[in-house]
Parts: sequence; C-alpha cells; structure tokens
Amino acid sequence: MLMLAVLVSFETFAHGVDDSTRNFLENNTGVQILPFVYIGAKHMVTGYDHLLFLVGVLFFLRSTRDVLLYVSMFTIGHSLTLMTGVLANIQVNAYLIDAIIGLSVVYKGFDNLGGFKHFFGKQPDPKKTVLIFGLFHGFGLATKIQEFALPSEGLATNLLSFNIGVEIGQFLALIFILLAINFWRQFESFNRFAKATNTALMSAGFMLVGMQLTGFIVS
Amino acid sequence: METSQVNQTNRSLVKATISSLVVAVIALVLFILPAEYSIDPTGVGQKLGLTVFNEAGSTPTSASSDGEQDAVLLTVPAGKGIEYKLSMNKFQKATYEWVTDGGALYVDLHGEPKGDTTGYFESYTIASVEEMKGSFTVPFDGSHGWYWKNNSDKDINIQLLFSGNYVIEGLK
Repeated sequence: MLMLAVLVSFETFAHGVDDSTRNFLENNTGVQILPFVYIGAKHMVTGYDHLLFLVGVLFFLRSTRDVLLYVSMFTIGHSLTLMTGVLANIQVNAYLIDAIIGLSVVYKGFDNLGGFKHFFGKQPDPKKTVLIFGLFHGFGLATKIQEFALPSEGLATNLLSFNIGVEIGQFLALIFILLAINFWRQFESFNRFAKATNTALMSAGFMLVGMQLTGFIVS
Repeated sequence: METSQVNQTNRSLVKATISSLVVAVIALVLFILPAEYSIDPTGVGQKLGLTVFNEAGSTPTSASSDGEQDAVLLTVPAGKGIEYKLSMNKFQKATYEWVTDGGALYVDLHGEPKGDTTGYFESYTIASVEEMKGSFTVPFDGSHGWYWKNNSDKDINIQLLFSGNYVIEGLK
C-alpha cells in the first residue's frame, strides 16, 4: 500500500496533473468554470519548471513597473500559444517542449550571470526573450491539456477558465518569489550569492533538459 | 531599462557554466534518470531505492517463498489485459490480496494444467472489482494466476501481495 502511495504521489509530481484531476478532466461535461480555474492555478503553482524560469526573470528586477512589464510579456506569450495550441489542435511533443522550457531556465541563468554581454558583446532584448519563452511555455501547457481527450462541449470556455487559473496561479507564485527575493535583496548575501544562485539555476535547467531529452529518446 | 547582471570575468563565467553542467550531469546520472526512467548506469539509483517508481510491470525472478510475502506493482494499460502467473503443484495453496489505484478491473483468476496444449483453463473467480482478497488451492499442476482486463480509458496500477507455495512465473 505504501509503495502504491509513493507511486501515485510521484506521478502527481512528475506530470503536474494528478490522477484525480486527470479523471475529472476526461469525464467532465459542459462548461465548468471554477474547476478549470482551479486546475490551471494548481498547475502553475506546482509547475517547478515555470517557477524556476520566473525566479530567473525576477532575480534582478527591482521596480514594480518592471516586474509587471516582464510578467505581462510572459503572460501574453503563454496565453497565446495555450489557447491557439489547444483550439487549433496543434500537437507538439511534450518532452521536446519541456526540454525547451528547461533551456529557457539555463538561458535566464546565463543571462543573469552576464554571459551574453560578456561573450557576444550584447544582451538580447530581455523583454523579447521573455515573450518568446512565454510562447514555448504556453505550448507546453497546451500539449499537456491535449493529452486529455477533453469533451468539445464548452471547450473554449473551459480553456479560458484554465488560462485564468494559470494566471491566478502564476500571480500567487510570483508574490511568494518576489517577497522572498526582495527580502533577501536587503542583505549583503544577496549579491554574494547572486552568482551561485544563477549558476544553480542554470544547473537545474540543464537537469530539466537532460531529463526531458532522455524521456524523448526512451519513450 | 536593462536588467542588472552579475559582473563576470571570462574565467568565472566559463567556470560557472561548466560547473552547472557538471552538477546537472551528475544529478541526472545518479538520481534523476534512475528515478524517472530506471536508467541506472552507476547502480546508485538502485542502491538508494530510486528505481522503485518504474518497477511496475517488472517481474521479480525470485523462486518459491516459504511464509514470505511477495509484492509486485503492475500496470494494466488502458483497454488492454495482462496476466500474472505462478507455477504451482497440485494441492498447493496461495493467499493473495490486490488493490488498484482507482477504477475497477475485470479479473479472471484461473489455472492452466501443465503440458496442456489445447488451451484449456479453469476459472476459480471471475469479477469486476477494484480489490480482492482470498486464497486458492490448485486442483492440478500448472500455471495459475490472474488475468486482468482494463476496460477504462486510463492506465490502472495494481498492487498485488501474495504468499504461499509457488514459483513466480510473472507477467505473461
């Protein structure tokens, strides 16, 4: 029984959408706004790859205005691909998309370390890159949603609800990440560990890439 | 506005990048790949028990057990059926208990006589249930066990516990 519990909870962790959610998604009928909002929010709060990317994006942002601007770029990006991906039924391999999301984490860590400016003379426009990676993150979400055979009745409304949930979840996650980073920023250790943190971020990104590419190969 | 960055020298940037890659590769090989895909070239994952997640469907090759309980995790793919068998001699007994992680399965607990080529089998229990508990004493030498059929559209996992006098044949 314990082994089974471990197995089930691991599945939950690995896919971001657990069995009971999956069951609900596949068996629901018609428009169900709040459940979809909830799933979207849950997906975002428990999606470690998205959270890592957000940590990278927020790391050096100080003003509220910048935070809003960058987060909006990311949101526009992933909302676009999430909606069009599902509605136009575009299938992308989930492993490859997740590998790209891992790469986005590596990218942001490297960018925060000043890698692009240092090696290539200039940093790519960070707002544009956040938008582009937002597009990929949205495709990731779209692909995951498409793994479930969703009933077409009320699909658009349900998807919109899911998307709203994603935003709520992202907002919740952002608040905690921002609070933590801003709190840490007051201390001298923030600067001292900035390099280590972003190196760790890159490393986590590489792990995601390796894990997803392996999944792509063996699946 | 431009985001601030850590100021770096060539050397420390390269060092940071390479060390992040090295740590990632080590973590992948030692822990992540064994846990996620049972790819365990070093054997460390096995030692730490990380490969347990993917052992569903794998077969313990161990032989007969005396009072010891065997446990196995099985996955019945959506729309498919699997068989798990024990080799037992006439009048030997096995006690068992199994439960799914959600959803009922069609089950046929049955035995096939040793050396039989006609396809004959004898069913001891037929049901559609989420869990079952019991024992059986076999009427002839042969291969005895469960056939599960998953009629739903999602995979169902089974935890099967059993003990008694048998040699495990495993998945068929």
